[in-house]
Amino acid sequence: MHLSPDLWVWVGALLTLFVFSFLFGDNPFYKFAEHLYVGVSVGYMIAIYYWNFFKPDLIEPLFGRGELILIVPLILGLCYLAIFIQKFSWVVRIPMGFVLGWGSGIAIPAVLQANVIKQIQGSLITSQTLAHWNTFVWSIVVLIGVITTVIYFFFSREQKGSLKVVANIGIIYIMIGFGASFGYTVMARISLLLGRLQFLLRDWLGVIH
Amino acid sequence: MKIGEILGKIDRRIVFGFMAIVVIVPFFFPLNVTGKVAPPSQQLFDAVEEIQPDSKPLLISIDFDPQSMPELYPMLKAILRHAFSRNVRVCMMALWVTGVGLGEAALNEVAPEYGKVHGKDYVYLGWKPGFAAVVLGMGKSIPETFPTDQYGTPLESIPMMRGVKNFRDIPYAISISAGDPGALTLWIPYVQSRFGQKLGTGMTAVSAADAYPYLQSGQLTGLLGGMKGAAEYEHLVAEAGYSEASKPATQAMDSQSMAHLAIILLIVLGNIGFILTKGRK
Amino acid sequence: MKQGIPRLLCLVAGIVMIVQFFIPHPISEKIFSESLRWVRIISAFALVLGVRSITVHHGTRIIRKSSGWGYSLVALVAMVVTAVIGLFGGVDPHATALLPTSIGGFSFHLQVLYANLMVPLGATMFSILAFYMASAAYRSFRARNKEATVLLVAAFIVMIGMVPIGSAIWPKLPDIAQWLLNVPSMAAKRGILFGIALGSVATSLKIILGIERGWLGGGK
Repeated sequence: MHLSPDLWVWVGALLTLFVFSFLFGDNPFYKFAEHLYVGVSVGYMIAIYYWNFFKPDLIEPLFGRGELILIVPLILGLCYLAIFIQKFSWVVRIPMGFVLGWGSGIAIPAVLQANVIKQIQGSLITSQTLAHWNTFVWSIVVLIGVITTVIYFFFSREQKGSLKVVANIGIIYIMIGFGASFGYTVMARISLLLGRLQFLLRDWLGVIH
Repeated sequence: MKIGEILGKIDRRIVFGFMAIVVIVPFFFPLNVTGKVAPPSQQLFDAVEEIQPDSKPLLISIDFDPQSMPELYPMLKAILRHAFSRNVRVCMMALWVTGVGLGEAALNEVAPEYGKVHGKDYVYLGWKPGFAAVVLGMGKSIPETFPTDQYGTPLESIPMMRGVKNFRDIPYAISISAGDPGALTLWIPYVQSRFGQKLGTGMTAVSAADAYPYLQSGQLTGLLGGMKGAAEYEHLVAEAGYSEASKPATQAMDSQSMAHLAIILLIVLGNIGFILTKGRK
Repeated sequence: MKQGIPRLLCLVAGIVMIVQFFIPHPISEKIFSESLRWVRIISAFALVLGVRSITVHHGTRIIRKSSGWGYSLVALVAMVVTAVIGLFGGVDPHATALLPTSIGGFSFHLQVLYANLMVPLGATMFSILAFYMASAAYRSFRARNKEATVLLVAAFIVMIGMVPIGSAIWPKLPDIAQWLLNVPSMAAKRGILFGIALGSVATSLKIILGIERGWLGGGK
């Protein structure tokens, strides 16, 4: 056992235990840790926003190099602050309108290209997939899965007859997909716990290497 | 009391205690089971392997924060070790403001192991707000989007960034991603599709299954899924003789395996209790 | 005016961004590049709203001496101290700054606070979910019908096949898990992806055309 001589490691370990104490119910130690986390995170963000953005991208170009065009986005950004004055709170809609319109405008072609066209291309049976029996068979299985899943989701009218058979196949695919996601989610949550245990056992207590 | 009722009434603190024992014990009594390397992990390794040494940089984006650090930080370090051992230059950036420090910590830890120097062998661009506006801006001009690095040094005065104008000068980009903004929501639609950027990702296991459609379509070249993906990458890097550093993700894999078996056992027991109780009713 | 100007701005910005994608003319390229800069600047101001909201929330609790006001004090003090250290101590530990960030060998630089306060707190917050997930899986994950059974079996295969013990139990298990992810699971995810993609395109169009007005809030 080689206890860490670093004061900060002890602070980190103590805070880790404070958060773990939530497993025994809500308590003052957990609440302290939770509020400390919120405060430090916001303080950190303020500093990073200033050094990484406000100083190099707004203050220096506008006031140092005289790039006056930046007054327009500056004013639009300042419009956000109108929310603090009830009479002028509607002004906040102006930057929101610009950012929402801009975001929607760039999203439409990007999403269509990446998540529709390229994905349809990926589902097609090509000469490459015909090269080996297994890639061909699995491509057919994938194609059936994609079509039946889409049918299950898109046909909102009563599913009966052949439509019901197809939709039921879609459900099987979807359940396999959800099962795979669940399996991976279990993995993720356990990994997060293991990371903290490594910190306590290795970095703090020094009982593992 | 019947078995079904007993199984249905086990206190959650017993479940908590059981899980704690299952995950802690393997750290002291390791099984040292080595698993197979999944093909998507191998793909990512191969893509980094193809980058020319002392040439255009590998771009790594920190799209996560401390909340998913145990899964993603080990893979970040393993990728850095791989790149630095091959003298591949690294250009790092962050899209998550609360993740900026993780990129800095990883570089501070790994770069000295290989004697790498900031500005010559690697650069940390830091973070900018605007998500899509940042990556789309980089597609036009990296120096205009990041006029300075994280520490205020103008990009034009950083030797390794000379000649690096936009994504055409980035042979491979990796988004280490915990969600939105990240590989699936930002890098694929706005960078891979628009600029044809060759892209890989290391992501939390929670969203790893969602990345497979992009792997199959070729939009992603390589995927590390969660801590298991990190362990596989650590294994590949060590096997190739690139690093002898400690492998935290690999070390945790025995506990990970045991925890999975324990959860399966719990689900089976819960279902036995359910079937027995239902049968009685 | 209170709704008209924002809606017009939304319409124009949306249409210009769609057009520039399909018509890469030097003028549209120039507009696009400038708009990227503008959006980055405007987005940054959202921080002010977040800081204000936290300050008001915790400030009110302290002033009113509401139950647990001491914790609010912790949050506000932590925020101010970290911000002051970051703003005046700088982000570069090797540069000279207005505020010294170490006393003797003891450093309290922003990066040190990040690594030793934010990292342990943030990482542990989510790690406790492992216990709750195990408990919830034990209590609620039931093979009630054939669909749930398929889900359960797929989950088991991925859970065992994707960790090293899987290959020790049966060497074929990792391959089966990988096949499951590559073929049936991938097909389902792709089908769902189509739905999400078309839904998001429709929503984006509705926002640009002013059919979706939720963002305008109430009032005129």
